[in-house]
Amino acid sequence: MKPAPFDYYAPETLEQAVALLEKLENEDVDAKIIAGGQSLMPMLNLRMARPDALVDLGKIKTLDYIRQENGTIVIGAMTSKRAAEDSTLLRDRQPLLHAATGHIGHRQIRNQGTVGGSFAHADPAAEYGAVAQALGMEMVVVGPDGERIIPADEFYLSFLTTDIDATEVLTEVRAPIMPDNTGWAFQEVCRRKGDLAMAGTAVTLRLEAGSCAEVVIAVFGVNATAARLPEAEQVVNGQAPGEAIFAQAGEAAAAALDEPIADVHATADYRRSLIATLVKRCLAEAVERCA
Amino acid sequence: MTSTIPKLPQDMPVTSPRYVGKEVKRIEDPGLVTGRTEFIDNLKLPGMAHAAILRTPHPHARIIRVDASAAEQLPGVVAVLTGEDIKRWCNVGATSPEGWGSTPMAVEKVRFVGEPVAAVAAISRYVAEDALELIEVEYELLEAVTNPEEAQAPNAPKLFEHNASNVILDRNYTWGDVDRVFAEADHVYTEKFRWNRVGANPMETSGCVCQWDVVNNSLTCYGSYQTPGFIALGRAASLNLPSNRVKVVAHPHGGSFGGKGGPRGTDIAALLSRKADGKPVKYIEDRVEYLLAGAGQSWDRYYQASLAVKADGTLVGLKVNLVDDQGAGAEGYGTISAAKPLAAFTGCYTIEAAQYDLKLVATNRAPTYPYRGYGPPPHNFVLESMVDIAARDLGMDAAQIRRMNYIAPDQFPYTIPSGNEYDSGRYEVVLDKVIAMANYREMRELQVKARTEGRLLGIGIVNTVEPGVFDWNAYSTVGVPGVGVPEGVKVSIDILGQITVTVGFALEGQGQYTLAAQLVADYFGVEMESVRVTYASTDIAPPHFGHGGSRLGVAISGAIMGACNKIEEKFRLVSAALMQCEPEQIELMDGHLRVKGMPGAEMHIAQVAGTMLGRSDLLPPGMEPCPEASFVWTAPDRNEPDEQGRCKSYLTAANACHIAMVEVDRDTGVTDVLKYFIVDDCGTRLNPATVEGQIQGGVAQGVGAVLYEEYVYAADGQPLVSLFSDYLLPGIHEVPMTEKGALETPSPVTPLGAKGCGEGAIHTTPATIMCAINDAIHPLGIQITETPASPNRLWQLLQEVR
Ligand SMILES: Cc1cc2nc3c(=O)[nH]c(=O)nc-3n(C[C@H](O)[C@H](O)[C@H](O)COP(=O)(O)OP(=O)(O)OC[C@H]3O[C@@H](n4cnc5c(N)ncnc54)[C@H](O)[C@@H]3O)c2cc1C
Repeated sequence: MKPAPFDYYAPETLEQAVALLEKLENEDVDAKIIAGGQSLMPMLNLRMARPDALVDLGKIKTLDYIRQENGTIVIGAMTSKRAAEDSTLLRDRQPLLHAATGHIGHRQIRNQGTVGGSFAHADPAAEYGAVAQALGMEMVVVGPDGERIIPADEFYLSFLTTDIDATEVLTEVRAPIMPDNTGWAFQEVCRRKGDLAMAGTAVTLRLEAGSCAEVVIAVFGVNATAARLPEAEQVVNGQAPGEAIFAQAGEAAAAALDEPIADVHATADYRRSLIATLVKRCLAEAVERCA
Repeated sequence: MTSTIPKLPQDMPVTSPRYVGKEVKRIEDPGLVTGRTEFIDNLKLPGMAHAAILRTPHPHARIIRVDASAAEQLPGVVAVLTGEDIKRWCNVGATSPEGWGSTPMAVEKVRFVGEPVAAVAAISRYVAEDALELIEVEYELLEAVTNPEEAQAPNAPKLFEHNASNVILDRNYTWGDVDRVFAEADHVYTEKFRWNRVGANPMETSGCVCQWDVVNNSLTCYGSYQTPGFIALGRAASLNLPSNRVKVVAHPHGGSFGGKGGPRGTDIAALLSRKADGKPVKYIEDRVEYLLAGAGQSWDRYYQASLAVKADGTLVGLKVNLVDDQGAGAEGYGTISAAKPLAAFTGCYTIEAAQYDLKLVATNRAPTYPYRGYGPPPHNFVLESMVDIAARDLGMDAAQIRRMNYIAPDQFPYTIPSGNEYDSGRYEVVLDKVIAMANYREMRELQVKARTEGRLLGIGIVNTVEPGVFDWNAYSTVGVPGVGVPEGVKVSIDILGQITVTVGFALEGQGQYTLAAQLVADYFGVEMESVRVTYASTDIAPPHFGHGGSRLGVAISGAIMGACNKIEEKFRLVSAALMQCEPEQIELMDGHLRVKGMPGAEMHIAQVAGTMLGRSDLLPPGMEPCPEASFVWTAPDRNEPDEQGRCKSYLTAANACHIAMVEVDRDTGVTDVLKYFIVDDCGTRLNPATVEGQIQGGVAQGVGAVLYEEYVYAADGQPLVSLFSDYLLPGIHEVPMTEKGALETPSPVTPLGAKGCGEGAIHTTPATIMCAINDAIHPLGIQITETPASPNRLWQLLQEVR
C-alpha cells in the first residue's frame, strides 16, 4: 500500500499553481492537485490513482477563509472542514451547509480535509453535493484564462467528475445566506457514524399561509451525482404540511431516481426506499423549523 | 519440594493483599501512552530490506509460469522469491489436519484471492511494490467453489486434488440418549441459522523482521506474535530447521484476538532473508492484505438446530448440525473453532442429551483462523435463539425459561453431555442481579407502551458459560495435532532484594504484566513498582504458550504462585539456619520470614536473598545460592477425549448474563442499542479493571459481529471486502457503554479462584442483540436468523410484512 512514484510540487501562490498546472499539461504530464489528501491519499496508496505529479495547494495561504459578502457566504477552497464546523457565521447564516459539514467523516478527517476538496472530489455520497444542489451554490475556479463561476447544476458531471479543467484550481465556493423564514433539514443513513451515507437528503422550504412553498429537495448517496428532485418538490408545493403528503413526496422522490448504486452495504432497492423515508422525515423536520 | 498454590487471595502470605483484587494502574500503560513501546514496525536492523508480496487475483487457478526476471533487474531489489524456492525449501504447514495444509506461497495452484505467488525484498517497501508490478504470472483459470453447497456437489472442482472431495471432516457426536429424549419431548423446535464470516481485526496488522543466519543455518524472527513458542516450532517444521535453530522474539503488539496466528508472512520474509544471504527482511502486512488474506476471517457457518422441550419449559435435548465453510484448506485453526463448542455445548442448562453433526468444507474463500471466543459466539447465538423460540411458543418469559433450566449451585462440578466439567457457578444469582440492575420489569412495561405506539422495541436476555483455560486435549478430536499449553515464569530476587519476573509472552493488551507484578508484590510483601516484568525470547524463556483460550491470567497466576512458593521454601531453609530454628517454625508473612510465636524474630526477604548470594558460608549444607525459581503451570486433571470427543478440556466455567434493549427503525431497518447491562461471574477478579476492559472489548466485537462486520464474497469467489470502509468495525458511537455488575464465585480448581474471562462477552453479546431484535420484530410475524442484522437485511424482512 505505497504509491507509485510521482513528482511533487508545492507552489506558494495561486498564480504559481495555475502556471504550473498549465506547464505540466503542455508537457503531457498527468498532474493532480492535492489538498487535504483525505480522499486522494488512499487512492494513491492503493495505486488506484497514479498521477505523474502532485501539485500541493497546502502552501497557498490565500484560500483559507469563511466570510460574508453581501448576501453570500464565501468559503476559500483550502479552508478545513473543521473550520467550517466551528464557524459561528456558518452556523447562524447557513445552517444547512453547517449541519452537513458535521456529517462528513470524523473530526480527524474534517481537520485535515478541505472544503474545496470535498466539492472537487465529487463523491456521490458527499454531503456537500446535495447541499450545493439544494442551495444553488456557485463554485469559483481559476485557470490560465482567469476566473470562471460554475453553478452547482453544471459543476457535478458524473461519478467523481466535475467541470473543473485539468489546468484549473477550485478557489472558492459560495452559498446564499439562509433567509430567515426558511425551514431546512439534513438527514442521512450511514452504517456507522461518519461513514459515507447509503442515502441522504437535504430539504429547504417556507410556509406561506399554512402551505408549503419554495420546496427544495436534494438527495445524495444514491446516484452518480447528488440531484434535486423537482418531481418530489411539486408534490408538496402549495400543500398543507402533513404526514400523508410528505410520504407521497417520499414515494415521488424514490420513483424519480436513476437506478441507485448498489454495494455491500445497500442494494439499489434499499437505497431507493431510504430516500422515500428520508424525504418524508426531512420535510417534517423542515416544517418544524419554520415555526 | 511440593508447592502449595494459594486457592484464594486471602491464602497468600500477606495480612491483606494490597494489589491482588484491586483496580491497580497497569504497568504497561506509561510506555503505551507515551509512544515508547516498541512495536514491530519501529524495529530497524542494520542493512534491513523490505518485503512486499504479490497476491493472486484469482480464487482458483493453476500457475503455469512465473517470470520474475524484470523484477530482479529493478534497481534496489535485493531478492525475489517464487514458488520454485518454496518447493525447494519449504514444507506444508504442520498445523492442519493431514492432507489439508498448504505452503506459505502457492507452488502449483492458487486457491483463494490474495494467496501469495511471489515476493520481493528491496531497499524500501516502495521499490518492493514497484517490483511486484514487473512480475508476470500466467494462470490457467479453474472453476471456483465459494460455498459448501457448491463445494460438495458431485462434480465440484477439488481444491486439493489428492483428497477425495472438498470435505475436510464429517462426523457425528452423540451424547446421551438423544433419540429417546426427542421422542419423549412435548415440543421439538427446529430452525436454520446463518452466521456470516467475521474475524479478528487488531489495530496493528501482522509484521515481522526475519534474519537467516547463513553460517549457523538458523533463523531469528522478531514480530507481533501471539504465541511465540508455538510460532517458533511451526517455523522449524515449515522451513526445515531443527527446532532449536529458530528463535522468535515477540514484540509488544497492537492486539491480536487470534488474528496474529498467520505465519505466511514470516515464512516468506525468512526465505527472502535466506535468499538475500542473511540480510534482515521486514514484512509489514498492510490492511488490504490483512482483510483479503491475513488471519482475520473466521466462522462462516450454516446451522440447523433442534431443541426438545417439555410442556413446562424444561429443556431436554439439543441437536446442532453445523456446516462450516473453512475456506481454502485448514491451515490455520479454523477446524478448532468448530470443536470448541464441545466445552460448553449446552450452555447454562441441564439439557440431558445432545448431538453435534459437524461438517467442515473447503472452498475458494480465504482460509479461516482463530478469533476471540473461538467458535462459541455463533453456537451461543443458535442455542440462545432456540431457547427464545421455545419461550415464545410456550408463552414464557425469556428470563423464566432460562431460570428454570439452570444447573444449580449444588450440582457442581457438573459434567455436561459433551464431556467437559464445569467447576462452579451461581447462575440464578447472576440472573437476579442483572434483572435488578436493568430494572427488567420496567423495561417490559416500556416495551408494551412502545408497541402500542407502533415502535419496534425489543429486549434480549441471554446467558452463557465461558469455558476458560483450554488444554491440549480440547482439539485432538478434529484432527489437529495436540500441542501442550504450559505456562512458565522465572522469578528472581537479586542481591539488593529487587524482584524480576521473566515471562515468555509479549504485551498484547490484556494487562498480564500488571497481573504478574500484582501477584509477586503481594506474595513477597513488596511495592508493585519494585517488581519488574520482562520478556524472554523463545531460546531462553521457560516453556510457555502465551495468550489464548481465556487462559493466560489463570495460567500466569499458577506459574507465579508456584515459583514464589519455591523461593519461599528455599528462604525458609536459609532463614531457619540463620535464625537457628527448624524450617517448620518459619512462616513467610508480609515480606518477612518469621519465627512463629517469637515476635521480632524475623528477616526481610531482601536480607535472605542478599545473604544467599553474598555469604555462601552461612547457607545450610548443600543449599544452592540461588534466590530464584522457575515454575511451569498447566491445568490439573486433563484427560484424553473418548470416541465421542468427551473430555475435561477447559478448566473453568465462567458465567454471564446480558440484557439489551434495542429499537429497530421500521422504515430503515437500522437497529439502535438503547441499553445494555451485564453481570459476569468469572470467579476471583484479580484486577477488576482489567476484567471490565475485557468485557467491554468483547461487547464491542460482539456488536461488530451482530450488526456490522461481514466478509462478503461475490458468487465467483471474489472478495468484495478489502478495506475498512467495507468491513465495518463498530466505533465508539456504535458500541454501547455497558453497565456492569459482578459476582465472584471462586473456582475451586484454579490458583486464587480466578476463571478465564477474556472471551465471555463476545460469547454473549451477538446472541443478546439478536434475541433483542427478534423480540422487537416478532409481533410482525418475522424473525431474523442471519448475522449481521444489517439495516439492509432487516429492511428486507420488514418489507415482507408491509
Ligand atoms: C474515513 C473517512 C471518512 C470520510 N467520510 C466522508 C463523508 O462522510 N462524507 C464526505 O463527503 N466525505 C468523506 N470523506 C472524504 C473527505 O471528506 C475528503 O476530505 C474530501 O473528500 C476531500 O478533501 P481533501 O481536502 O482531503 O482533498 P484531497 O483528498 O486532497 O483531494 C480530493 C480530490 O479533489 C481534488 N481537489 C482538491 N482540492 C482541489 C482544488 N482546490 N481544486 C481542484 N481540485 C481539487 C484533488 O485533485 C482530488 O482529486 C471521508 C474520508 C475518510 C478518510
